Amino acid sequence: MMLKLIGAALVLFAGTMIGFVQAARFAERPRQIRHLLHALQRLETEIGYGQTPLPDALRRMALVLPPPLSGMFADIAGELRSERGGTVSESWERVLSDNWSSTSMRAGEKEAMLRLGASLGGSGKEDQLKHVRLAMLQLQDEESAAREEQQRYEKLSRSLGVLGAALVVILML
Amino acid sequence: MPPLQFDWLPHSIRLILAKLPPAVLDELEEIRIRENRPLEVGYGSRFAFVGPDGTLSADHHPGYRPSRDDCRALLEKLTDYSLYAVEEELRRGFVTVAGGHRIGLAGRTVLEGGSVRHLRDIAGFNVRIARARAGCAARLLPELLDLTSRTVRHTLLVSAPQQGKTTMLRDLARAVSAGEWNHPAARNWSGRKVGIVDERSEIAACERGVPSFDLGPRSDVLDACPKAEGMMMLIRSMSPEVLVVDEIGRTEDAEALREALHAGVRVLATAHAADLSDVFRRPVLASLAREGMFGAYAVLSRSGGRVVHRVYAPDEAEQEAGRGARRSWAAPRDAPAPARPPDAGREPALLQRPLPPIRSPDRTGDGGGSHDA
Repeated sequence: MMLKLIGAALVLFAGTMIGFVQAARFAERPRQIRHLLHALQRLETEIGYGQTPLPDALRRMALVLPPPLSGMFADIAGELRSERGGTVSESWERVLSDNWSSTSMRAGEKEAMLRLGASLGGSGKEDQLKHVRLAMLQLQDEESAAREEQQRYEKLSRSLGVLGAALVVILML
Repeated sequence: MPPLQFDWLPHSIRLILAKLPPAVLDELEEIRIRENRPLEVGYGSRFAFVGPDGTLSADHHPGYRPSRDDCRALLEKLTDYSLYAVEEELRRGFVTVAGGHRIGLAGRTVLEGGSVRHLRDIAGFNVRIARARAGCAARLLPELLDLTSRTVRHTLLVSAPQQGKTTMLRDLARAVSAGEWNHPAARNWSGRKVGIVDERSEIAACERGVPSFDLGPRSDVLDACPKAEGMMMLIRSMSPEVLVVDEIGRTEDAEALREALHAGVRVLATAHAADLSDVFRRPVLASLAREGMFGAYAVLSRSGGRVVHRVYAPDEAEQEAGRGARRSWAAPRDAPAPARPPDAGREPALLQRPLPPIRSPDRTGDGGGSHDA
């Protein structure tokens, strides 16, 4: 009997945790998109007014971002300034694809960012600004979709975790 | 001389150049990179094509052919991945990278309202290696002194392209600002305040505003500034005693030079011209010359890999220019070196003869006083 109770408590705890983690992912996605938007705004300023070289601009972007995102842009900047130094679009694509799974963001945002990377640094100022603004527009769309999902599913997944665990416990007992 | 840094070349081409014999690297003057055409280097007044393993040959067939990707990577590296930051340079057809090396670009121009807006499809690159030769102006400077006013005369350095004008100008600026006059009468003169307008970032090769070449202790550099405007800015703001500018030739440059003259500033300038008769044929330079603007003309030329100079006073210059028939073009790069003058082996005496063909010291120089940066 004692053993059964302990088992039930463990199942309840695990189910609750799964629900909370799911909920945190729903909450985290719009927040990360927002951070990315701020960083792109920074990039826009660096290109438009500062005419900062791209690697420096990416480093400064990394400074305004929290960890999982900042690492990506610092990596791209580092790769560009490194001995081998490939093209922007190669480095951008490789680093983003490798690290995207560690963020809470989905395919839509990734696609917008990859499209931006393909044209970054390769044209005049006006054109660059257009590309950055286009990427920002796409991210804004994704952000509002992400917020809707958050409202709908954040609480749901939290209670679903607890209730699911409770169901399993009832069946076990 | 510090080893050349090729950080701004893509990996594939850098690997090939690293395999060049050290003697060639020491003398490297140009690297010509053309898409799908053989890689070429110019060194010590010669040229050769470079094979994939770094071997040199006069035959272009075994030459390494840079691919489209090589050229794209090169352009991205040259511009530090930021075409948007070098739009103005692209319009003028060249960029300058760290170390003061100037890279000429050829591609398809995009016009707007009849003037060049920018370059696209860039497929030809000409890297001109900049070198500091500290001391190369040591023979020239004493001939340019104005002993009564204890400074240098207004001087125009003249030569065809690739004959060492900018290198000479850089060392003149260094010597004037450091007070290395190299003249017995000038032994107790101190250095002069030198203002340098470095429109192409070639003289000083500034990185974040600080010159990467030695320009002496009393030099101020206005980097990447249009010459005419820059000269006026320096005169107003930095009170230079000697102004140094590269490659004058436009009408507004002449205006600014006149202004400088009346502000009591001495000017060292360079101009592209094969010889003095060319100077008197170029409208802007000719009008300046006729007004007696310059106190000395120094004509530089190369003979057998050495830079030779000859200084003319204004009246001599005009006579020389009148003899326009004796016109000479820059020799093609693979032409055999002209025979050395009979006295080339020993040091010509300074000052006894007013116009000796004096060899500047250089790396392979046999005289004393040749030292490298």
